[in-house]
Amino acid sequence: MEIYLPVAEMSVNWLVLIALGTGVGFLSGMFGVGGGFLMTPLLVFAGIPSTVAVATTLSHVTASSMSGALAQWRKRAIDFAMAGVMMVGGIAGTLFGVWLFALMRRQGQMDLIVALTYVIMLGSIGIIMLRESLATLKAYRSGVTISHRPVNRGWIQALPFKLRFRQSRLYISVLPPIAIGFGVGALSAIMGIGGGFIIVPAMIYLLRMPTKVVMGTSLVQIIAITAITTVLQATSNYAVDIVLAGLLVFGGVVGAQLGVRAGAKLRGEQLRLLLALLVLAVGTGLLWQLIATPADVYSLSEEAP
Amino acid sequence: MRRALLAALLLFCGPAQAEDLVSGISQDIIQITSNYTGTDIVVFGAIEQPQNAQGRDIVVVVRGPDEPMTVRRRDRIAGVWVNNDAARFEGLPAYYYLASTQPIDHIAPPRSLARYGVGIAYLFPSRVGSHHDPRFFLEAAKRHLRRAGLYAESPGSIDFLSESLFRTRVPVPAGVTRGQYNVEVYLFRDGEVVSAQSTPLFVDATGLERRLFNMAHNASFSYGLACVFMSMLLGWISYVLFHRQE
Repeated sequence: MEIYLPVAEMSVNWLVLIALGTGVGFLSGMFGVGGGFLMTPLLVFAGIPSTVAVATTLSHVTASSMSGALAQWRKRAIDFAMAGVMMVGGIAGTLFGVWLFALMRRQGQMDLIVALTYVIMLGSIGIIMLRESLATLKAYRSGVTISHRPVNRGWIQALPFKLRFRQSRLYISVLPPIAIGFGVGALSAIMGIGGGFIIVPAMIYLLRMPTKVVMGTSLVQIIAITAITTVLQATSNYAVDIVLAGLLVFGGVVGAQLGVRAGAKLRGEQLRLLLALLVLAVGTGLLWQLIATPADVYSLSEEAP
Repeated sequence: MRRALLAALLLFCGPAQAEDLVSGISQDIIQITSNYTGTDIVVFGAIEQPQNAQGRDIVVVVRGPDEPMTVRRRDRIAGVWVNNDAARFEGLPAYYYLASTQPIDHIAPPRSLARYGVGIAYLFPSRVGSHHDPRFFLEAAKRHLRRAGLYAESPGSIDFLSESLFRTRVPVPAGVTRGQYNVEVYLFRDGEVVSAQSTPLFVDATGLERRLFNMAHNASFSYGLACVFMSMLLGWISYVLFHRQE
């Protein structure tokens, strides 16, 4: 049951990895997220070095996003112009992120940066989602419908370099999409995520894109970012393990299908509440590892500093 | 220097010497394949013209290739544990296993153990990069390697099949580094090495594992593209299988 990972240079139980891929795939299918934010910490808990975990999880996200994007493409629900503009920022962001990653790895602060970024991102997003889903559930019980407060986007309208995005029926500056792409690209390299849970709210609330093109466009964006980051991580950090990637992807695509079916049985607010609790649980676990007194304050690494 | 000493010993221990040593290993190449989970090798040997067993000891050392190591110490800064200090060691073996007829401190005085690098306590780095006293860092490195099963000592694990014939089993765990290992057999009499023999042992990945590792390092761009292509292909296949009919 053991398989040797040629880049991580360790033997692991391949059944555990397929189960991990299936489990994360199940949750990602159920909640409609890529699952990178769960996969990376779980791989680290399983003993995979965090550099390899971050770089290899991206392949899992590419595969699950590919499958979703094809389905959206068939419905013609993808704004390729918007995806292209975001990609410009995304490429710059991933280059920056991979550079920062390599620098932190040399300084011996890689694990800290990954964990801190995770705690901050998961903590804030988990709390926002929890509040929102609880408010919706409460309103649902009392029979009141909540209308989302329109976000003032005056400052976005005032920006220069405007472009017409026909599919999204928008005429806005290219700067906000480029900035979003940059931020998500950088986080993708550092955290090993696709960034769907940042891109989707940003598209809806900041850019005010129509909901029906948001899913497909964000998936195309995620495929592009994770693909570029994978190649960059492979060339600059030698941290992508193709055997590990294959096992995770295989488990992931199967799990996602089961998850989609399970998710269809739950209501949207319930799903969001569960996802919020899951996000907070992972964040708390990582925070605990940062603040709890370690069993041994010394650690050993066999790579040169 | 250790090698020079061994060579010198081999020269001196000519046929005129009373006691001599021949040894061998069960396999001289260990191949890491996809289902490699660790293996055992058998080191065996014979003492020629054996004399009184009293005062005679056998020590078998398996030494992996030297590997630079960095030990980091975490300190609590603003409530968070942060890597704060580090020491870098060169010249420590990545793997070290010692089997002996009795605890090595009973076999020879520290001076002669240190000369041959016999015993984990007597392994010292050839170069140290540190701002402070590296002793605690070195201890921590050895502690971690022991815990990972890469450094081990096993006194009393040499079986004598007859008065002169002996053997011992050396575990080579899953996490070992590739490269050239050395199997060293020492014959001690009254605390001094009277004969020694060194045999190389190669640990290497073979087949697909080796090709993938080489590709990841030498052709990393195409390797990265291959990973992306594989993920996209699997994503596409899953779409065709599951979504198409919807």
